[in-house]
Amino acid sequence: MARRIRTTKNLAKRMDLQYFKQAHPLRSWRLWLSILVPVVAVVWFAAQRASSQKVYSSGPLAAAHAVLGKDCNVCHASTLGFFHEKVSDDACLKCHDAPAHHPEKVAFTASCGSCHVEHQGSPRLASTQNNSCTECHANLTTKSGSPQYVRMVKDFDKEHPEFAALRPGARDPGQVKLNHYAHLKPHLAGPSGPVQMDCQDCHRLATINAPWPYAAPQAPSQTAQSMSQPMSPASPQPMPVAVATSADVKHSRSQDYMLPILYATQCAGCHVKDLQFDKRFDQAAPHDKPEIVQTFLIQKYSDYFASHPRALSEVVAPERILPNTVKLPLPIPRNRQEWLDQQVMLADILLFDKGCKLCHVMVGGTPAEGNGTEGKAPLPTVAKSSIPARWFLHAEFSHESHRLLTCTACHTRTPESRQTADILLPGIASCRDCHEDGGAKHDAASGRCSECHSYHDWTKERPTKGKFTIPQLRASR
Amino acid sequence: MRIDETHRKWFIGSLAGLIVAVAIYIPYSRSSPEGANGGTVAGLTYGSIASAFMLFAGLLGARKKVPIWRVGRAQAWMRGHLWLGFLSFPLIFLHSGFRFGTGLTRGLMWLFVVVFVSGIVGAVLQHFMPRLETQRVPMETIYEQIGRVRSQLVAEAETIVKEASTALAGNVSQATEQQRALSASAGTIGGLTVASGLDVDEGASVELQEFFRREMLPYISQGRSRGMTLADRNRAHSMFQQLRLLLPPNLHPSVEDLENICEEKRELDQQTRYHRVLHAWLLVHIPASYALLLLGAIHAVMALRY
Repeated sequence: MARRIRTTKNLAKRMDLQYFKQAHPLRSWRLWLSILVPVVAVVWFAAQRASSQKVYSSGPLAAAHAVLGKDCNVCHASTLGFFHEKVSDDACLKCHDAPAHHPEKVAFTASCGSCHVEHQGSPRLASTQNNSCTECHANLTTKSGSPQYVRMVKDFDKEHPEFAALRPGARDPGQVKLNHYAHLKPHLAGPSGPVQMDCQDCHRLATINAPWPYAAPQAPSQTAQSMSQPMSPASPQPMPVAVATSADVKHSRSQDYMLPILYATQCAGCHVKDLQFDKRFDQAAPHDKPEIVQTFLIQKYSDYFASHPRALSEVVAPERILPNTVKLPLPIPRNRQEWLDQQVMLADILLFDKGCKLCHVMVGGTPAEGNGTEGKAPLPTVAKSSIPARWFLHAEFSHESHRLLTCTACHTRTPESRQTADILLPGIASCRDCHEDGGAKHDAASGRCSECHSYHDWTKERPTKGKFTIPQLRASR
Repeated sequence: MRIDETHRKWFIGSLAGLIVAVAIYIPYSRSSPEGANGGTVAGLTYGSIASAFMLFAGLLGARKKVPIWRVGRAQAWMRGHLWLGFLSFPLIFLHSGFRFGTGLTRGLMWLFVVVFVSGIVGAVLQHFMPRLETQRVPMETIYEQIGRVRSQLVAEAETIVKEASTALAGNVSQATEQQRALSASAGTIGGLTVASGLDVDEGASVELQEFFRREMLPYISQGRSRGMTLADRNRAHSMFQQLRLLLPPNLHPSVEDLENICEEKRELDQQTRYHRVLHAWLLVHIPASYALLLLGAIHAVMALRY
């Protein structure tokens, strides 16, 4: 019996040479799946597209723009022709009239989208990457060639200059004499006994709604609005010692800054006695301009003279005479006018040469040039306080965001500061203790440029008018 | 396709391309606000190059459909498919800034992951399995012909059994009285009748046909033979040994042929399994690739629009 032999010829004879023309399950499956899967993909895409245009989105919108997510055309308008629907600056400017960045100095203006990159799901679109800034500021050149600011700022960690207020030659422009050391000493004489003052007794954010411990009785409460509206000299309300410039205030988020120091709310409780000018009157002199104080004094003494017929013969109390300021003995007034001039002159000296000078710099003439009968001397003027409402004029700072820290954690030199000229602003090293470029990745607070700096000069912002109806925004038109 | 030394140029070229792409990406990513993304010039460049590579990889199917096209050797196309397809994957990630995005882009990215992973699996299988198959399936045939070869094996086995049965019937008719008497002392070994006489020959013929009908025919005629006795080489060998005891020595070559047919059937089954493993990834890779190219084209148009 023949054995089973596998020869090439035998094997070849077994083959059906037309086999490739017949459908085979694996090839059939491949063919059908190659049709079915793309069809399913297109159907999925069509279904997604039918419900919204979101299917084209490259990523989620920033939180502030999420409401626009239903209608891409709100931003992607066909402004560039039939096919293109890219977002132009015009789309952004419909709602945000963001002023250009130093247009008179920089050589170009970046488009909105080059810094505020959308579809990244960023919670804050304003929180731009450092690259947006360092593109120019790493080697700053301006139209004129010589920048006003530091030429090279590359990052916060290493290549950022010290704050301008702390650089050599900088000084505190404030004209109000304040000794922090003295104010923070224990057993300080308070309105009703010894006190231990705390930073927050004088320095507070507008968000804190609690009575001021050292305010004058019935002193008006401070608000953010009071910060931006300096009081008129004729106003019955006290004039703020520190007044932020209008540019400062517009540029800032007012609730993030300390309220300005007002005599009425922060000083009067203890310092009202420094405006007492005569024991015959319970009322202290107003904390106001010298002219108003003068008017107040004349009125007070006129009223006194009218109600006290023997006033001419009254002896001047010794404590009313400031040593070495008038020629003694004082002449005896012969009539009402001489008496009035002498009384007002003595009160002026006591106030302008002592009471006011305790805190303020007084400029100009003093009434102590005569003895009150040799004619009226010109009134002094109070030097403008000039306490900076903000130290960072080109950066933002939020005390509110830093509320978890003690004041002296950053303002370390404050308890020992005895001079007004001491700049108690913490340096950049203090900020770097917590802030790093890497931010959360390094278990640190963000060190991005946008954390403190704003590209747009919001002082030049113009109001925008609404352009959309709700159905337009929500794609239900 | 086996990835051997002939791929060296492609490998070096792809590696160099990847290094250049990454080297450009690092400063580009660092200098871009919010990192790299597909909408920038660099991002679009990455996307365009990757799309071109994907398109080229996709054209392999067309190249195979028309083998007479004079557009380069099929091997070169296959290598290009492999390496440019591989390179397109990191390039797409450089294009997207390593983000999956939402909506269409997310769908595309996942689809690409499926295509890439299935492609890698396929490349690995194509590298190792053909050699394994050659070693383990010496009687390999064309996969599509397995059904046809199986039916030929059935026909061949039926002929052998028929011939053996005829031979056994001839022995009985030519037997003497003494031979018939001796057959009374027949016994059984291992469940099969020992061929020691003429009655035994008659019984052996029945046993052979019964064995063929009950065990062998179902095994060699069906594609699915898992669990059958003959599917196990050792058990099958034991059964055929017993069959040899049953049959006279002159029929042992027939038993050997039947055993050989079963062995070939086992190898065909093995080949079927290997083939499925070797090609099943294509059921994922090819359809997903077409879907990727289709949605990728939509993405490209819409990305340019928006």
